[in-house]
Amino acid sequence: MHGLFKWSSKWWPGVIPLVVFWGIAAWTSTTAVEGELAARANAALKDSVLDKRRISVDGRDVTFAANAFSEEGRVSAVASVEAVPGVRLVNDDTRLVPEAKPFVWSAERDVVRVTLGGSAPLPSSKGKLMEAAKASLGGVEVVDQMGLARGAPPRFDAVALLLLDQISKLKDGKITLTDGKINLSGMARDLGGREAVVAALKNLPEGYSVAANDIKAPPYIFQAYKDPVALTLTLTGYVPDNNAHAALVAAAGRKFFSEKVVDNLKASVGAPSGFAAAVVPALGALSRLSTGTLVVSDREVKLSGDALYDAAAGQIRDGLGKDFPQGWQYKAEISVKPAAAPVDATVCQQLFAETLTKGRIRFESAKADIVPDSAGLLDRLVETAMRCPTTNIEITGHTDSDGDEAANQALSEKRAQAVMDYLVRAGLPASRFTPIGYGSTQPVAANDGEDGKAQNRRIEFVVKQ
Amino acid sequence: MTALTTFFWGWLLAALLLGFGMGWIAVVHRAKGVPRLWMRWLAVLAVALVAASFAHIVPGRFGYWLDLLLVMFALYLVGCAIGSWLRDWVVSRGKPAS
Repeated sequence: MHGLFKWSSKWWPGVIPLVVFWGIAAWTSTTAVEGELAARANAALKDSVLDKRRISVDGRDVTFAANAFSEEGRVSAVASVEAVPGVRLVNDDTRLVPEAKPFVWSAERDVVRVTLGGSAPLPSSKGKLMEAAKASLGGVEVVDQMGLARGAPPRFDAVALLLLDQISKLKDGKITLTDGKINLSGMARDLGGREAVVAALKNLPEGYSVAANDIKAPPYIFQAYKDPVALTLTLTGYVPDNNAHAALVAAAGRKFFSEKVVDNLKASVGAPSGFAAAVVPALGALSRLSTGTLVVSDREVKLSGDALYDAAAGQIRDGLGKDFPQGWQYKAEISVKPAAAPVDATVCQQLFAETLTKGRIRFESAKADIVPDSAGLLDRLVETAMRCPTTNIEITGHTDSDGDEAANQALSEKRAQAVMDYLVRAGLPASRFTPIGYGSTQPVAANDGEDGKAQNRRIEFVVKQ
Repeated sequence: MTALTTFFWGWLLAALLLGFGMGWIAVVHRAKGVPRLWMRWLAVLAVALVAASFAHIVPGRFGYWLDLLLVMFALYLVGCAIGSWLRDWVVSRGKPAS
């Protein structure tokens, strides 16, 4: 032992090459060691959920910066780096992801892209939302502007996915989730889009609610065009369902006695309430026009065209809106068709006969009240009467043979009178008309069937010089 | 450090061999040895460096280099001790017993 101590005093010359070796060793190994330690630290953090992870190695010291999503996650991540073999020290620069208060997440759609913004609670939910957005939106570009933050309400992912599903139903708009409150705005892609969104949002988990839903649907449009040349009534646009469709076409058939109904209607949800109650009378008003267009856009009814005579124009302008359900608006742009050339009594008679072959004036059953469906026909008769102003006209009422003859007689008189009253209200002088009731004494068909009876229940115009 | 020897084991081996060589020579070397007082101070320095290494007070790369130096120096000393002892054994065996 003493020898070893004695010899050791002579070991110093070797220290000089040793220092040289040390220098070379340090020079060559440092970068490699640092690279290896960085790789090992990253591998150790593979399963940790962290944001903005940054690892830098200086010698054997690791500087570890990251945002963790929980305190446990943060501590365990630091411990994993400390446990990496070869690491001497860990400079812990980790912190918790900031907490968002309120926690806001949004999805905004414009013409070309969908932008996801606000905060997501975890990188995984961010990825899930991006993927879901790309899948549900087809080829639309999805832009990720989401940050990460703590403080998301429970079941955030499920709700955000549900909301993303709604954004695909919008043409443009924005859905914002603020804590548990949902705000929606924008324009639905389809007519029923608004309703579909409302229905889907009924499935929100507990703790979530819709604060404001300002989604607008594209206008619900119904159009009717009366073409006096082609003698057609063209119906386009939407109706609420097949029953309403059938009812509307049937009503059009009754009101437009000489026009062929061209039906291009499609059934769609999203109709404003009271749709049929507004459209049917509006069609009645259109039937009184010589030519005209009816446009129903949501709850706004716009009727434009030419009335057959002055009084009709006034009645159509003022009368229609009164029948409408609440909340409906009516705009009329009615002008009066220039008066047609006068004709002599023979032509006048011919015109009456022609008109009355195409359509019959209808009354309420067993009453002398003219049904509204006949207004178009009556206006046509008024116009004809105006074309032969010098003539006198007998308005004759006829009934079928059902019931008491005296009652039929009285009914036919009253009905003839009702028609005359209509003509007088239209501005024609009462002195030109004579209402006559014939009861069932002048049948034009046998009274043994419904068809024949219907033909016998009629009003005729007889032109006298 | 042991987990990183792959990166510098050659230099550790070199330090060990260098020590062995130096130890082998030192036994018969006629040069003047380091004075006792110096030895003491050098020992104190070595202990201080070891303490600094264990306390992790030298940061970053310098810390790593210090560790590397101490490991190489330790192996050098081990090599010296083995070399001197072996040489001494060889020399004393060659001498006739007196």
